[in-house]
Amino acid sequence: MGSHSEIIEAGAPPEPHHMDSTTAYHAAKLGMWLFLATEILLFAALFAAFALYHWWYFDEFHHASEKLDWRLGALNTAVLLFSSYTAAVAVYAAQIGDNKRIVKNFGISVACGLIFLIIKAVEYSGKYAKGYFPGTDLWSDPNFAQSYKNYFGIYYCLTGLHALHVIIGMSVMIWVITKARKNRFSGRYYTPVELGALYWHLVDLIWIYLFPLLYLIG
Amino acid sequence: MGGHQVVPDANGHLKENNYLNCDKSIKSWLLTLDHKRIAILYLVSILSFFFVGGISALIMRSHLAMPQAQVISPDLYNALFTLHGVLMIFLFIVPGIPATMGNFLLPLMIGAKDVAFPRLNLFSYYIYVVGALIGFVAIINPVWLIDYLQGMAQGVWNPLDTGWTFYTPYSTSTGAGEGWGVILMTFAAFVLGFSSILTGLNFIVTIHKLRAPGMNWMRLPVLVWGLYATSVIQTLATPVVGITLILLIVERVLGIGIFDPAKGGDPVLYQHFFWFYSHPVVYIMVLPAFGVVGEIIPVMSRKPIFGYKAVVFASIGIAAVAFIVWAHHMFTSGMSAFSAAIFSALTFGVAVPTAVKVFNWVSTMYKGSIRFDSAMLYAMAFVFLFMIAGTTGVYLAVLGVDIYYHDTYFVVAHFHYTIQGGAVIGLIAALHFWFPKMFGKFYNEGWAKFSFWLLFFGFNLTFLPQFVLGMEGMPRRYYDYLPEFSSMHQLSTVGAFFNGLGYTLALLNLTTSAIWGKRLAPSNPYNSLGLEWQCPSPPPHDNFITPPVVTSGSYDYGYPIEERSKA
Amino acid sequence: MFRFLPEQASTIAPEVDFLNNLITDLSVFFTVAIVGSMLYFAWKYRRRNGVDHPTPRIEGSHTLEIIWTAVPTAVCIFLGWAGIVVYNDMKHVPENAMTINVTGWKWAWEFQYQNGKKSGGQGAELVVPVNQPIKLVMTSRDVLHSFFIPAMRVKQDVVPGKYSYVSFTPVKTGLYDVYCTEYCGTRHSYMLAKVRVVSAEEFEAWISHDPTEGLAPSDLGKQLYTSLGCNACHSLADGVRLVGPSFYKSFGREGKLSDGSNYSADENYIRESILNPNIKLVDGYAANLMPSFDGRLDESQLNALIAFIKAQDGSAPPAPAVNISLGDEEEDLSKLSPKERGEKLYSAKACIGCHTLDGSNLVGPTFKGSYGSKRELQDGSSVTVDDAYITESILQPMTKVAKGFAPAMPPYEGQLSESEVKDLIEFIKTVK
Repeated sequence: MGSHSEIIEAGAPPEPHHMDSTTAYHAAKLGMWLFLATEILLFAALFAAFALYHWWYFDEFHHASEKLDWRLGALNTAVLLFSSYTAAVAVYAAQIGDNKRIVKNFGISVACGLIFLIIKAVEYSGKYAKGYFPGTDLWSDPNFAQSYKNYFGIYYCLTGLHALHVIIGMSVMIWVITKARKNRFSGRYYTPVELGALYWHLVDLIWIYLFPLLYLIG
Repeated sequence: MGGHQVVPDANGHLKENNYLNCDKSIKSWLLTLDHKRIAILYLVSILSFFFVGGISALIMRSHLAMPQAQVISPDLYNALFTLHGVLMIFLFIVPGIPATMGNFLLPLMIGAKDVAFPRLNLFSYYIYVVGALIGFVAIINPVWLIDYLQGMAQGVWNPLDTGWTFYTPYSTSTGAGEGWGVILMTFAAFVLGFSSILTGLNFIVTIHKLRAPGMNWMRLPVLVWGLYATSVIQTLATPVVGITLILLIVERVLGIGIFDPAKGGDPVLYQHFFWFYSHPVVYIMVLPAFGVVGEIIPVMSRKPIFGYKAVVFASIGIAAVAFIVWAHHMFTSGMSAFSAAIFSALTFGVAVPTAVKVFNWVSTMYKGSIRFDSAMLYAMAFVFLFMIAGTTGVYLAVLGVDIYYHDTYFVVAHFHYTIQGGAVIGLIAALHFWFPKMFGKFYNEGWAKFSFWLLFFGFNLTFLPQFVLGMEGMPRRYYDYLPEFSSMHQLSTVGAFFNGLGYTLALLNLTTSAIWGKRLAPSNPYNSLGLEWQCPSPPPHDNFITPPVVTSGSYDYGYPIEERSKA
Repeated sequence: MFRFLPEQASTIAPEVDFLNNLITDLSVFFTVAIVGSMLYFAWKYRRRNGVDHPTPRIEGSHTLEIIWTAVPTAVCIFLGWAGIVVYNDMKHVPENAMTINVTGWKWAWEFQYQNGKKSGGQGAELVVPVNQPIKLVMTSRDVLHSFFIPAMRVKQDVVPGKYSYVSFTPVKTGLYDVYCTEYCGTRHSYMLAKVRVVSAEEFEAWISHDPTEGLAPSDLGKQLYTSLGCNACHSLADGVRLVGPSFYKSFGREGKLSDGSNYSADENYIRESILNPNIKLVDGYAANLMPSFDGRLDESQLNALIAFIKAQDGSAPPAPAVNISLGDEEEDLSKLSPKERGEKLYSAKACIGCHTLDGSNLVGPTFKGSYGSKRELQDGSSVTVDDAYITESILQPMTKVAKGFAPAMPPYEGQLSESEVKDLIEFIKTVK
C-alpha cells in the first residue's frame, strides 16, 4: 500500500495499490457511465408520471403549460448547450495537456450554469408573484388544483431536481478547475476532466428533454 | 506499511500480518479501505439491526398469542411492524449478503487485490451508517424525543406507523411523529438506497475490470454471477424508489399533488413506482443466496455444479425478468384485467429459472461424496425452504387465486420463506462456510449443528401455521383477530421464540469462536478448487501473495467422465 | 391434503378453490419429489468414515435441462391461463347485478342501496338476497382500504378519488365476515363488517322498510342533527355558542363573513356551509373544525336538515341547550348506578364522537386510562387528571387544553347538571 503523500510528478496518473493506471482509467469511466444510468432512472420516474398525467389531463396540462414563458426556457436551453460545448473543449484541452485551457473552458461552463440558475430563479419568482408556487394561497385552493391538476407540482419537481443537478455539476467542475490550476492533468491523466464533462453533458441532456416537454408540447 | 512480512505456515494459516491484525488501531478499522475489513464493519452493523428487528418481531408475536390481547397498544403494534419491516429490509437484508460476504469474497474469488473503488466502498458504508441513524431518529419520533429530553414528554407517543411500504395517502396524512416520522424515514431509505447503488456500481466495475488473468466469464464462480446480477438490479432499480420517496417528502411538505387524488394525482401510481424497485429488491436479497448455495453444494459433494451455464443464465434471466413483474403486488388495486393478465404471465417468467436452479443444485449431489458440515445442512435447508417459498409463490402468481391471498397471512408466510428461508439462511450458511477463511479459525461444529436444528424447527413452526391462517382468510397487519384464528397464532408465537433462540445461538457460536476460538484453520479446509481458498487464512491485506493466474474452472471436481472405467 | 379455505358462499368460490387445490397438490408433489431426491442423494452418496470417495465429473445434461425447463414451463402456462380465466369470471358483472355503493373510511364501512337506504358504521351489515348477482361500487373518504369477503373469495382495494368495483353472487344464506385488508391505521384490525345473505323475500321486506319513512322533513332533520353529531357543535338555544353558531333563529340571519363580505343565511348558504364548511365562515369562528359533509348526505337529507334549521324559529318551546334525550324509551335513570348513567351520557352528549374508550385518540384524548394520569397542556404545564380537572374540562374546555389537541370542544357549562358531571367522572374512572 504505497503512500500517496509522496510528491506526484505533474501530470502523472495516480497509482492505486490494487490496479494499474490504465485499468483505473477504464474502471472510472465504466463507473461513471453506470452512475449516469442511475441518474437517468432517477428522472425516469418523474418523466413517467408526467407522461401519465399528461395523457389523463391533456387540456389542463396544455392550459397550464401556457403559463410558462417559453422564451426564458429557450434561452436557458441555449445557455446550457453552449456550456456543454465548452465542457467538451475542456476535455480536448486535457488530452493535449493544456491545463490553462481546461480552466478557461470549464470556467465558462460554470458561469453558464450560474446564468441558467439565475434565469430559473427569475422564472420561479415570476410564478411566485402570480401565486403558482407551493405555499401560496392560490396553491392550496381546490379550484387551482381543478384547473391545472398537478402540472405545477410535476414542473417544480422536475426543474427543481434538475437545478440540483446543475449545482452538483458546477461543484464538480470547480473542483476540477482547482486541480487544473495546479497543472495536475496531462495527456496521460485526465480522468476527472472527462468524467466531469460527462456529468455536465447529462445535465444538459436532461434539460433538452425537459424544455420541449414542459414548455412546448405541454 | 509496505514492510509487512506475509509468511503463512505450512497449512496456509497466516498468524501475523493478516488483514485482521496488520494494524490494530481503531482508526485503521474505521477508515480502512480494505474490502475485507469493510465487510466486517458491515457484518457487525447488519447483525445488530437483525437483532433489533428480531426483538420487535418477538414482541409482536407475544402480543398476538391471544386474541383481544392488550399487551401493547394498537399504535405501538403498528409502529413495531413498521420498525420490523424497515430494519429487516433496508438495514439488514438489502445490504445483507452483497455488502458482507460479497465485499469479502468478490475480489478473492476473481483474484483481485480489492474492489475497483476502495474509497467509494468505505463511503458507501458511511452513507449506510448515516441512513441508519436517520432511520432510527425517524422511527422513535424526534419531536417526542426532544420533549422527553426536556423532561416534558407525557401524552401520546406516536411513532412511525406507515408500514415499510409507505403507501399514500396514508403516509402523506398520518400524524405519526408530527409528520416528521415519514419525512425522515423516507429520506433515510433514500440515503440507504444511495449506499446500495454505489456498492452495486463498485461490484459491476470490479467484475468487469479486475478479473485475474485466465478468469474468463464462463469460469466465474456462481456466487460472483449472483452478485453481478444483484448489482445490476441494485444500480438500475434503486434510483426509481429513491425519487419516489423524495416525491413523498415533497408531497408532504409542499403539497405538490402527484399522488394526491384531490389534485388529480393517483395513489396507485405510487404503488407502481414503489414496486418497480421493491419487487426486484427481493432478487437483490435472494440471488446472492442462490450463489452461496451454488458454491457450498459442489464443494461439499465434490462434484462440479450441474449445468453451470444454466445456473448462470437463470441468474441473469431472473434479474432481467425481475424488472417487469412488479405489478403482481397490485392485482387488487383496480388495475385493468388486461394488464393484470400480462403481469401474471410475466411473473411465471421468474418461476421457471428458479425451478431450474433447484433442479441443478439437487442434481449436483448425485454420485457425490457428501459431507454434512453445518454449512451443508444450511444449504440443504435452503433448498427445502425455497421449494416451499417457490411453490407458495405460484398461488400468488395465479391471478384468480392471488385475489384471495393478497394481503393475508399467506403472503406474510410466503415472503418470510423467501427472505428468511432464502436470503437469511443463505447468509448464515455463507458465514459458516467461509468462516475459516474470514477468521482463520474453526467454530464449534456441535453448537453450530444444534443451533441449526433449533432455528430450522422454529422457523417452520413460526411460518407454516401462517400459511394456514392465510388460507383461512386472516388479513395481515392486524393488531387483533377473531378467536377462531387463535390456535395457529399460538403455534406461530411458540415457533418464533425457538427461531430467535436458534439464530442467537448460531451467531453467538460464530462470534465467540472468532474472538476466542483456539482451533486454527488452514487456508483450504474443504479442499475446494475455488480461488478464494488459495490465499492464506485469514488473507493478508492484498489477498494473494503472488497474483494468481487461473488455468481451470472453479468446479473441476472428480475424475473426468471418460475415465470412469479406471475408477 | 392441506384444505383450509373457508366455506364456499359464492358462485366463484368453487372455481377459485379448484385451482387453489390443484396448485396445492402439484406443490406437494414437486416438493416431496425434489426434497425427497435431495435427501436420498444425501444419504446414498454420503461420505463415509471421513474419507472422500471418487466422484465422476458430471457437468450437466442437455436432455435433463430441457426436460426440467419444459415441464415447469408447461405447468406454469397452464396455471397462469387458468388463473386468468378464473379472474375474468370474478371480474365479470352479470347484467342483472344489483349495484350497492360502498364507502370506506377510518375505520368503518357504509353501504348505500339504490333506494337510498343506508347502513354503516363499525360492524355494519351488508344485506343481500341469495342468488342475486351483486356489484359493489366502492370508494374511500380518506386513505386506501381493501374490501375482502373470504367466503365469497373476492377482494378489491378501495381508493380515495376513484371508484373500484367488486362483484359476486352469493349462493348460501348466512352471515359472513368482511375484513379491511389494506393497512389503514390504528383501528385497521377493527374495520370489520358482515355480509348477511338472506332470501329474496326477507330482502324485499328489509329494503322496503325505511325507519325514516313517514317522517316530516324537519323530524328527519332532527334525527340527523343527532346522528351526524351536529349537536356537538351547534346548539339550539338562544345565544348558546358552542364551537359553531347556534341554530336558534339562524335561518335568515344576516351578518359578516370572515373575509368581510356579508351573508344571508338562506337555503343556499346553509347547503353550502354543510357541504363546504370552510368557504364562507361567519366572522369570529375558526376554520377547519367542521368536516365537509359533501358526499355523505343525499338531497332529501340535506333538505331535511335545512327544514330542521328553519324550524328553529323560536316558535317551538325553548329547547335545552343540547337537545338530546337519553334514548327513545324513557328509563328511570335513578335506578342506574352513577357509572351507568355516565355511560349513557357519554353517548347521549356525543362525547363518543371525539373521545374513544379504546386508547386511540380522535379529535380529543381517549378516556382509556385517563383518570389519574398526568397530562401535558398546551401552555407547557402539566396537570393530573382528577375530578377537578375533568369537571373544569367538561364545563370550560378551552381553559386547559391538552397538548397536541385542537381546542375544539364546546363548553358544557349550563348544559350538564352537577350530578351529571359526577356521573360522567364515575364513568371515566372505570375506563381503564
